[in-house]
Amino acid sequence: MRNMEAHESGTPPNRMYRSIKITLMVLGAILALLCIFLVINYFSLRRANIINDRELSLSAFVQKHGPLTANEVGVLRSWMTFAYINKTFALPPDFLKNAFNITDAGYPNITVSHYIDSQHLASADFMISLESTIGKYLQSQSL
Amino acid sequence: MLSSLLSYLLLYRYVALAVVVYVGAVGAPLPINIMLLALGAFANQGFFSFWLSLAVTAVFNTFGDLTGYGLTWKYGEAITRFLHLRKAQFFVNLEKELRSDAAVTVFITRFAGSMSSITNLLAGLVKVPFMTFFVNDLVANILEPGMWLAIGYGVGNYWSDFSDLSSIVGGIFAVSIIMFILFRMQQRLMKKYQGSE
Repeated sequence: MRNMEAHESGTPPNRMYRSIKITLMVLGAILALLCIFLVINYFSLRRANIINDRELSLSAFVQKHGPLTANEVGVLRSWMTFAYINKTFALPPDFLKNAFNITDAGYPNITVSHYIDSQHLASADFMISLESTIGKYLQSQSL
Repeated sequence: MLSSLLSYLLLYRYVALAVVVYVGAVGAPLPINIMLLALGAFANQGFFSFWLSLAVTAVFNTFGDLTGYGLTWKYGEAITRFLHLRKAQFFVNLEKELRSDAAVTVFITRFAGSMSSITNLLAGLVKVPFMTFFVNDLVANILEPGMWLAIGYGVGNYWSDFSDLSSIVGGIFAVSIIMFILFRMQQRLMKKYQGSE
């Protein structure tokens, strides 16, 4: 009778309360796991000297980073456009066009992957030659 | 998926950014946070403007959120009746929770990835006042993308090394927010239960 009255007055059933409690416990466990992953990830970035090298200090936000160097050609990816590569490595606009004999009218606003597909090239081989061409050019400029 | 998004971003710039952010805000499962991290790095390299990117992201995120909110405001009642959701106790409690804590819930769920799309739909459904939704949505839509853009800008070319970290942080935000909402719901239920005894 008391239960019925309680239910009618809008008291939530016990089952509901219990299921929220269990869900909270499960989520708490997931949260703890995520925090562990966060710490592991943070320390792996520290070990790789990535966080130490670029601490999120105010100077990093204010000071603009310069163009990439020959040692950083490893960041090249096939989703990048030639325009973006030219800009980030401060290359002359037609340097890559001439180096690879690119005749596509869309150059430099085409992605590397588009060029690889259109020319039926081997992706890995082209990326290696792209890295080496840019690396050599930048090294010759720094001499 | 991320590679294609980044290619479109580099090719069509702010138009691609607007479209991707809008579609993501409506509810498509796109890796928006990682994309913003990359965008911050592009801004660092001078390929995008940081402030324009933030403005476009905030505006189109808000448009996307308002689309979900508007759709359920108009058609939500019919859908919940069709799905018999009105009879589900959990749904009723969730509705009460959202109505009583609208501002906080709308604001904090912006930091919880795809949970924000669900909140948009629920907010429209329970008819959260437009200004409450809009103001909290807009403010959080400036802060949350701003945070990812700023991190991307700060770490520059190393942004991809931080993509795992950003996924974990996003997960922590999402789980914490769900826990917060459930905890509030549980407390309210307890208070109600004690009051009726």
